[in-house]
Amino acid sequence: MAFIKLNELEVEVEDGTNVVEAARQHGIEVPHYCYHPGLSSPANCRMCLVEPHVFFPPAGAIVPDRQLATGCTTVLRTAPPDRKLDGKYDFIVYTDSPRVKKAREDILEFLLVHHPLDCPVCDQAGECDLQDFSYRHGHDKSRYLEVKNVPPKKDLGPDVLLYSTRCIVCTRCIRFCQEVSGSSELGLIHRGSHDEIDIPRAHDGMPLQLLDNKLAGNVVDICPVGALISKDFLFKSRPWFMKKESSVCAGCSVGCNITVEYKEDGVYRLKPRFHGEINQHWMCDDGRLGYHYVNSDDRLQLPMTRVEEELRPTHWADALTQVTEKLSEADAAEVVVIGSAQGTNEDNYVLQQFAHEVLKTEQLGLFGALPGEEHVFPQFTIEADKNPNTAGARQMLSNGAPVLEGEALWQKVSEASIVYLVNGAPGRPLESVEKAALESVDFLIVQDVLPSEVTALADVVLPGTTFVEKDGTFTNSKGWVQRVRKTVDAPGEARLDWEIVQQIAKQLGGEMGYHFAGEIAIAIAENVPGYADATHQNIGDSGVKLA
Amino acid sequence: MVQEKRILYEHLDVPGINTFDVFRQHDGYARFEKAIAEYQPDDIAKMVMDSGLKGRGGAGFSTGLKWSFVPKDIKPCYLCCNADESEPGTFSNRYVLEKNPHLLIEGILICCYAMGIETTYVYIRGEFTLGKKMLDAAIKEAYAKGYLGKNIRGTGLNVDIYTHPGAGAYICGEETGLIESLEGKRGQPRNKPPFPAVEGVFRKPTVVQNVETLCNLPFIVGEGVEWYTQMGPTYGDTRFDPPKPDPNTGTKLYCISGDVNKPGVYELELGLTCAELVEVAGGVRGQEVKAVIPGGSSAPILTRYELDTRLDFTSLTLAKSMLGSGGIIVMNETRNIVDCLLNIMKFYAHESCGQCTPCRWGTPWVRDIVQRIADGNGRKSTITRPRFGIAENGRWGDTGETEEIYEDLDLLESVANNIANVDTMTWNTICVFGIAVSWPAVSYLRKFRPEFEATIREGQLTTLSVEAATVPPEENYAYQQRIVPRELE
Ligand SMILES: Cc1cc2nc3c(=O)[nH]c(=O)nc-3n(C[C@H](O)[C@H](O)[C@H](O)COP(=O)(O)O)c2cc1C
Ligand code: SF4
Ligand code: SF4
Ligand code: SF4
Repeated sequence: MAFIKLNELEVEVEDGTNVVEAARQHGIEVPHYCYHPGLSSPANCRMCLVEPHVFFPPAGAIVPDRQLATGCTTVLRTAPPDRKLDGKYDFIVYTDSPRVKKAREDILEFLLVHHPLDCPVCDQAGECDLQDFSYRHGHDKSRYLEVKNVPPKKDLGPDVLLYSTRCIVCTRCIRFCQEVSGSSELGLIHRGSHDEIDIPRAHDGMPLQLLDNKLAGNVVDICPVGALISKDFLFKSRPWFMKKESSVCAGCSVGCNITVEYKEDGVYRLKPRFHGEINQHWMCDDGRLGYHYVNSDDRLQLPMTRVEEELRPTHWADALTQVTEKLSEADAAEVVVIGSAQGTNEDNYVLQQFAHEVLKTEQLGLFGALPGEEHVFPQFTIEADKNPNTAGARQMLSNGAPVLEGEALWQKVSEASIVYLVNGAPGRPLESVEKAALESVDFLIVQDVLPSEVTALADVVLPGTTFVEKDGTFTNSKGWVQRVRKTVDAPGEARLDWEIVQQIAKQLGGEMGYHFAGEIAIAIAENVPGYADATHQNIGDSGVKLA
Repeated sequence: MVQEKRILYEHLDVPGINTFDVFRQHDGYARFEKAIAEYQPDDIAKMVMDSGLKGRGGAGFSTGLKWSFVPKDIKPCYLCCNADESEPGTFSNRYVLEKNPHLLIEGILICCYAMGIETTYVYIRGEFTLGKKMLDAAIKEAYAKGYLGKNIRGTGLNVDIYTHPGAGAYICGEETGLIESLEGKRGQPRNKPPFPAVEGVFRKPTVVQNVETLCNLPFIVGEGVEWYTQMGPTYGDTRFDPPKPDPNTGTKLYCISGDVNKPGVYELELGLTCAELVEVAGGVRGQEVKAVIPGGSSAPILTRYELDTRLDFTSLTLAKSMLGSGGIIVMNETRNIVDCLLNIMKFYAHESCGQCTPCRWGTPWVRDIVQRIADGNGRKSTITRPRFGIAENGRWGDTGETEEIYEDLDLLESVANNIANVDTMTWNTICVFGIAVSWPAVSYLRKFRPEFEATIREGQLTTLSVEAATVPPEENYAYQQRIVPRELE
């Protein structure tokens, strides 16, 4: 630990921390643009200038250093005993001296020289570092009278637009593409005040290269201004009109921490949230843009039953009566219950409890495998398992007995007369074996969020909820248990998956009385090995690693 | 009359000196041979330190001291010869490359021997096609004669030289910009520290040295430190007690251009005055000297009252200017200082590498302000300060004392100082290009303010007489603050 004098505070920071981070840890803002904790520090924006104080031998005193230093590259370390300042400090630095304040004002003035200040039509307004720092640290007027540069707007790739006029050339986006995605699509063209971000254009027989990697969306997040804009979000909403909730991405088994930004009428965007051991600052575009099915008009809103070969909407009482009638008539050996790797641990635990305690069947399966491609980048991996909760669902469903999966599952399904299947994976195709097995079932109950190949075969369809409409936990491939949180309401009459199961259980005379997901998590903590710490309270925003 | 003292340029005009054989006849490579025969590498480094040689590329940093920062235990270590000579007004390296390239090779060999370096990159300004051709030919010859390559002259010494042409960017003359460019990246200076001596080319210790600096080495070794230190003044740095010797030894290749009768490169001992140099170059062309740029376009300008300043590193620094690259540009009474500043600012606005905020956007802004002034659109306003007394109409009232405010001149100075502050010598930029911008801007303005004001008043470029254009010494900030160093006894 280094002992630092930070303004008038005396603080301890870990060796190797830079001044920006050290100040942040103690609630002091050192404004910066080019520095990003997940990237290298080129110190080019000059915004984070701070004033170190050093010992000046001729004066025999500690004096302000001649030059200001960039906080992002000034790393704090324990000094050897004979180099301590004032006999105790390892470093003395001021982030609010008059010189520092003046330097910030000057830098901000330069940053705004060519900036269009088109905040009224800029997507970034409200979450813009240029707005915020200008407001907090800048001048109130501009002395610039000359003509402003107007570099062109550019379409960089499938989801990213560049409003070059707003770019402050911090090079975060370039460094991201070099260091994290390793794909280096972005670079600078021209020089000096004509610097522009660009992609490799077709030249000398070389093809145009678009910003088209699976991490590209992150450049929009890290752009401190409204230069890089997501086409998906463009002009959709002002940031301050959206509510935010910490959650976890349901796109694959990595389990990136995210913030869901939503309004009453749906989810507007997903943004990555820092987790040091899972996703750092990033998320992939599959996850980022994969939420659209949640807002889809096709979402299942009412239960449906098959009438004359056709699925027709009905009311819950009717659908559930049909389901309970069939289940109560059936022989336990002929019933197969299948959980979902898209569902939360809570959903799957309740389903398992229902199967064991109410239906008294051991035939529990996991419908899930949603294999995709793995993508490995220098500092990020997108996993091949496209379900968020394969590990958790397996542990919840098993509860001692092995869970049926793959061939064994489909074998059992083809022998069964009643199957209760929870899906929830949008657009998952059915393989021919799976399809044949499901077709052979007498009575197929499907709980799903969208019309799918599975619902097409069902006798009863029960509308469930997606990861943004419920509270619960996912367990990622590395054993991190993390929370998803309810943001928007489920559409129409769709219900929480565990509530549906519990309702059926009750109608069959079972004794399940959970009121909210947190209660189920407590039951899980008590009953499922490894989950002792995984109560919602403990998990919080940063997750709990399985013992 | 001051005499030229030709050392580096002594044999420049000898026909065929660019070939190995002729160079050899004129002591060529003998100094290198002496170095390896008579001295250990550390002896050479000590000689260079004792010689007081200061870098000729611009910063004037002690070469021996720079070498002492290079860690001995990290290998490989590289030498980068800076032949990117692009500072406006500077053209001395070019003649070495074009006419006497073997001298540079000999200097490189001595440096490599002293520092245990096996690989040298010569970064040559892209426009120097002839210079590169001549150097390449000389390198080839030196390889053929066994003065480059493996096991040079049976001593076990290995030295390879590679030449690398620049792509036309001034900033690639800045040592870390040069290194980035050499590595194949955009020529953008690095943050320092670490300095190249510790982490340079390919993140290895690197000695970056100007052509002229390296060409001094054969003479320091050949003729000895004592001989070398007799040239040029050694001042006493009075901040120390007793005053610490501050050598400005050796000769300098002064590139003199502008309004003189015989422009060109003159090799002279360091320490002659600006006025003497103008005389050496055939005197001013025209009536009188209006201003002199003493060290390339980045250096603060000198007025006619400051021509007694000695042209060496210490004297010019203490006179709030710099010797820089030794590019001296003389302006006579016909020159308009606003126009000159515009010319220079156009250059800097074009050449800023664009990496850091103040320079990227401040430099073109400075240019635009000067452009506006030169176009006759500079802003001026008259304000009246209320003061009560007997007014013109004979009544008691406001006598209406007026004051002229030149907003654009204040703006110009403020913007330039915000890039790099000339008074405190602090800059908010990554490299010292920033101060190379604000130095001329602020010094031209402060020292020739009447001409700027006249241009704004008249609404067009207005050239005043030298007398009227120049701020008198008692109002000249640099003249007031300058210190004339004293030579050590
Ligand atoms: C903007 C800028 C341009 C420079 N251009 C040159 C140049 O063209 N040639 C040169 O030798 N040094 C140039 N320098 C100085 C170099 O950074 C460096 O100080 C020099 O090469 C060191 O060599 P020396 O110690 O032998 O002078 C420049 C410096 C700056 C800041
Ligand atoms: S980037 Fe920021 S300051 Fe610029 S227009 Fe957008 S919101 Fe305004
Ligand atoms: S586009 Fe954004 S992230 Fe990229 S350099 Fe410009 S301001 Fe920085
Ligand atoms: S001061 Fe200018 S030239 Fe130097 S790094 Fe910054 S932008 Fe580039």
